Amino acid sequence: MITLNINKKNYNVDVDPETPLLWVLRDTINLVGTKYGCGMAQCGACVVHLNGEAVRSCVTKVSRAVGQKVVTIEGLSEKNDHPLQKAWIELDVPQCGYCQSGQIMSAAVLLRENKNPTEKDIDAAMAGNLCRCGTYLRIRKAIQLAAEIQRKGI
Amino acid sequence: MEDIKTNYSRRSFLKSSALAGGGLLISFSALAKFDLDDKVNKLDLPDQWYELTGYIKITPDNIIKIFNPNPEFGQNVMTSLPMIVAEELEADWQKIVVEMGPHDNVKLGPQFTGGSNSMRMYWKPLREAGAAARNMLMQAAAQTWAVPVEEITTKAGMLYHEKSGKSGTYGSFASKASEIAIPKGVKLKDVKNFNVVRHSQKNVEGLKIITGKPLFGLDYKVEGMLIAMIEHPPAFGMKLKSFDASETLKMPGIKDVFSQKLYEDGFEQGGFDTRTFNDLLVVVGNTSWEVMKARKKLKVEWEPAGDTKNTMSGKREVIVPGELESTSTQLAKMKEYANKPAQQLRKDGDPETAFKNAAQVIERTYNAPFLAHNCMEPMNFFAHVTDEKALVAGPLQAPGWSEPTLSKLLNLPADKIEIQMTRMGGGFGLRAYGHYIYEAALISKKVKAPVKLIYSREDDMTYGIYRPMYTATYRAALDANKNLIAFHVKGGGIPENAVHANRFPAGAIDNYLAEGWQIPSNITIGAFRAPRSNFAAAAEQSFLDELAEAMGKDPIDFRLELLKRAKENPVGKSNDYNADRYAEVLKLVKEKSGWNNPENKKYSRGVAAYFCHNSYAAHVVDLVMRDGQPYVERVFSAIDCGIVINPDAATNMVQGAVVDGIGNALYGGLTHKDGAAEQNNFHRYRIIRMNEAPKKIEVHFVQNDIDPTGLGEPPFPPVFGAVANALYKNTGNRFYEQPYILQLNKTSRA
Amino acid sequence: MKQHTERYLLPVKTISVLAVILSVIVFMSFSFKNETTISSVKSDTINKDSIESVKAFMDVYKVLMSPRCMNCHPSGDVPLQGDDSHIHNMLPQRGKDGKGIYAMKCMNCHQPTNLEGLNKPPGNPNWHLPPSNMKMVFEGRTPGQLARQIINPKTNGNKTIQQLIAHADDGLVKAGWDMGEGRTAPPLSHEEFKKAWITWIKSGAYAPKQ
Repeated sequence: MITLNINKKNYNVDVDPETPLLWVLRDTINLVGTKYGCGMAQCGACVVHLNGEAVRSCVTKVSRAVGQKVVTIEGLSEKNDHPLQKAWIELDVPQCGYCQSGQIMSAAVLLRENKNPTEKDIDAAMAGNLCRCGTYLRIRKAIQLAAEIQRKGI
Repeated sequence: MEDIKTNYSRRSFLKSSALAGGGLLISFSALAKFDLDDKVNKLDLPDQWYELTGYIKITPDNIIKIFNPNPEFGQNVMTSLPMIVAEELEADWQKIVVEMGPHDNVKLGPQFTGGSNSMRMYWKPLREAGAAARNMLMQAAAQTWAVPVEEITTKAGMLYHEKSGKSGTYGSFASKASEIAIPKGVKLKDVKNFNVVRHSQKNVEGLKIITGKPLFGLDYKVEGMLIAMIEHPPAFGMKLKSFDASETLKMPGIKDVFSQKLYEDGFEQGGFDTRTFNDLLVVVGNTSWEVMKARKKLKVEWEPAGDTKNTMSGKREVIVPGELESTSTQLAKMKEYANKPAQQLRKDGDPETAFKNAAQVIERTYNAPFLAHNCMEPMNFFAHVTDEKALVAGPLQAPGWSEPTLSKLLNLPADKIEIQMTRMGGGFGLRAYGHYIYEAALISKKVKAPVKLIYSREDDMTYGIYRPMYTATYRAALDANKNLIAFHVKGGGIPENAVHANRFPAGAIDNYLAEGWQIPSNITIGAFRAPRSNFAAAAEQSFLDELAEAMGKDPIDFRLELLKRAKENPVGKSNDYNADRYAEVLKLVKEKSGWNNPENKKYSRGVAAYFCHNSYAAHVVDLVMRDGQPYVERVFSAIDCGIVINPDAATNMVQGAVVDGIGNALYGGLTHKDGAAEQNNFHRYRIIRMNEAPKKIEVHFVQNDIDPTGLGEPPFPPVFGAVANALYKNTGNRFYEQPYILQLNKTSRA
Repeated sequence: MKQHTERYLLPVKTISVLAVILSVIVFMSFSFKNETTISSVKSDTINKDSIESVKAFMDVYKVLMSPRCMNCHPSGDVPLQGDDSHIHNMLPQRGKDGKGIYAMKCMNCHQPTNLEGLNKPPGNPNWHLPPSNMKMVFEGRTPGQLARQIINPKTNGNKTIQQLIAHADDGLVKAGWDMGEGRTAPPLSHEEFKKAWITWIKSGAYAPKQ
């Protein structure tokens, strides 16, 4: 039995400790906001926060998360009002939507560490998140808008 | 502390209702009693709905639900199709509830997403449904108030009789209206008076997407569901010989391992029943990871399948060659076939003589590789099959195309089969094919349990149903005055060619010849975003650019000249484009891009235009070199797709198509060695990334009142040509082989 | 094994001694065109032999310039990847402390251990690049340049000779031999490398001419 702390809640799960966190989230705990895209850390659809850092849950063993704080897209904000979520709605970013959880979770780390990201900062932070539908421009603009929302405390 | 138990009901997943107002949590009286917080997927909507046409349901409390009939894969029909209904219905868009429709071709139309057809197919039917429902409500009010129906007006979900000052909600008349026969031929609104359509509306599923709600096939779950995965042969042209699952069966969570045929011999396949491998080696277990782990312990022997036979409808047999193909041998074979006689597809005038007498002949050959769709959400499907009925649910583009085959395979009548369409994490044409639905269904039937079949990214990328491998040789004849007197395109491909014989510049040139050839293969192919066009535009638009230069003309002016000829004095009769509209997008992109503006000289500019799937698109691509790598910094796009339903969403689509086009043109491609794919995940198959995408894509729509045509595919093909033309401006070299990055990095595919 | 007494007792003295040595080296380089030496280390651990030393370093160089070592000692701020040392996919950036930045910090993908399967990110509890103020670049270095870089505390991460010797058994160095499926091991075994490394240093840490 493993105890995990996910989105401020504790869960007891009976899984092999070598199971990637992604599959424990999706199959065992039924938090399916975190997505499977490649299984080898190439696409970023599986990004969650482990003690605030944007780890790729498809290659992160669940054992690494024991005793740590995990936040998934479902827990990014209590009222769906993280500046990124607000910006994402404002600019109508998604097309198919499958990659968007990972995009937002990666962007959240950028915005936490850099209140005024430049184009280059956005490139550096987000080059690991694939979008097959090509919403990159809107993601970029939404990050910039979210930074503004954050700065102004709206 | 929560001990995990699965807490899903099928109903709650699929009642994927959304508030049309962009999913913003509007708390307002009628809806206040519903828990709209983050349990939106368990929206407890009332059961008392009155149906007014198959698309609309209304409650007495005036909650109006509109069904989206067409499967959603990012083109946002979930928003735009209901918008059309809401417009004619005169409902308040902000208060509409949208729900994905069930599979019901009687009530909800053709229900297939493909060919950029959603708008074309549903424009009239949805307007008529909305107008008819409004009319039924007006009749109900007129009857109740005992007034002439002509004196009733409507606005935002309310009915009014101004003379008497009476008014009432749609909901209060819904019951009565639902008993009135659906009228035909109701007058539709003037398109110039739209309040909803032609105004940007937010994605109705936006909030759910960004809060991680279960929406996609891969998210679908029911109590007691098992996971299945299929172990495919490692190469095209191979098949299962034998397997030893003893180690696999010992692994935790594993229920069963077995082999299963997909189609019996002689089974007549429909056009979208394509499958690569017929013998399925299936592993079934409790969870995804347990199955993924257990698969690795399979001991399998594969053997060459040799030549096999597919039976198509009408008992037509097609031989599938057994050779284990390699890209190098494929390229060599294509060169060989290019020199053989081919099938004539169109001939105008006397091209042979014109070429013989030409002062100058320009000949160029273009190549492009197989492309994998690589939808972000890998293939998957849920099935629960019993002897009496079947429920299948998942991401698919065309339930109606798969139902007949499913019915045959399961030996169940269609009315005992329920197909539910989840949101798709990308489609691009791949999800029009039904084999993975049938696989899931057969597995469920065998193990007598609900099963979700999932494909790993490797399974997905190596399965086939690719965009074909293409080549085309273009020839142009110029006379002594550098006039274009003849044009010849000879296109080939594995296993089909990409020639659209009746497309521009056919119709603009007196002497014209189009030919095509193909080489059969066991590498399966299928529709890929703008099939055939996605290569034809690249080759043709590069060639036209080179021609223009040889003739000393500006590339846009050159095309406009040809279009002028096609309009005023067309050659031949079946010219598959409207020369005016085609010219219009070129003129628009010329203007908006500042084509001749000297301050744009720092960019290497490439232009291309194309017509496909009923819409017109032109792009100017501005490229620079950055650390020795090509970077498209900005793009200007001009589109004519008729009436634009949802302008901001349409802009998003065009931007996406441009990014997709740049990525595929520069980086995408599959190669093979002895039948095995050399790329099986994103570390080898390169997809364009954030830092490689343009910073600006400015989209302009031609403003007209023409009935809407599609947008998913038309902007995509010309991007390839524009990129090639921009690369030429930058490097001084023409680019003939995709992906273009190979030529830049001086590596080769073979 | 760190020589704590040497390190903590008289840091200033050590620095000034090294400074003297460096100037000696510079002076001697004019007279001995073929070699450079460090002569401060206790003479019982150094038996100077310029030929032996340089020969051993060429083995060291072979290993350090192999992908398993060089990939994390790039000349730019993006690591290299694979047996062909291409630029690391997705362009993760070095960052100030060498641990990456934002949503692509090294350990966001690289786990404490290797993972099963081809092309998965290799693992180590301390996965990182050298920090930006001490890049310790291997890529593009000639043998002479690399040797001189390694023996100079200003460019080797402030390591003394004893620390350099011990470095052969550093966890991350050893990880070069525990590289995960599908990756080619360095051209010498760790044992052979360690022997060459120590031989090079103990016989005077001579840098090759080129």
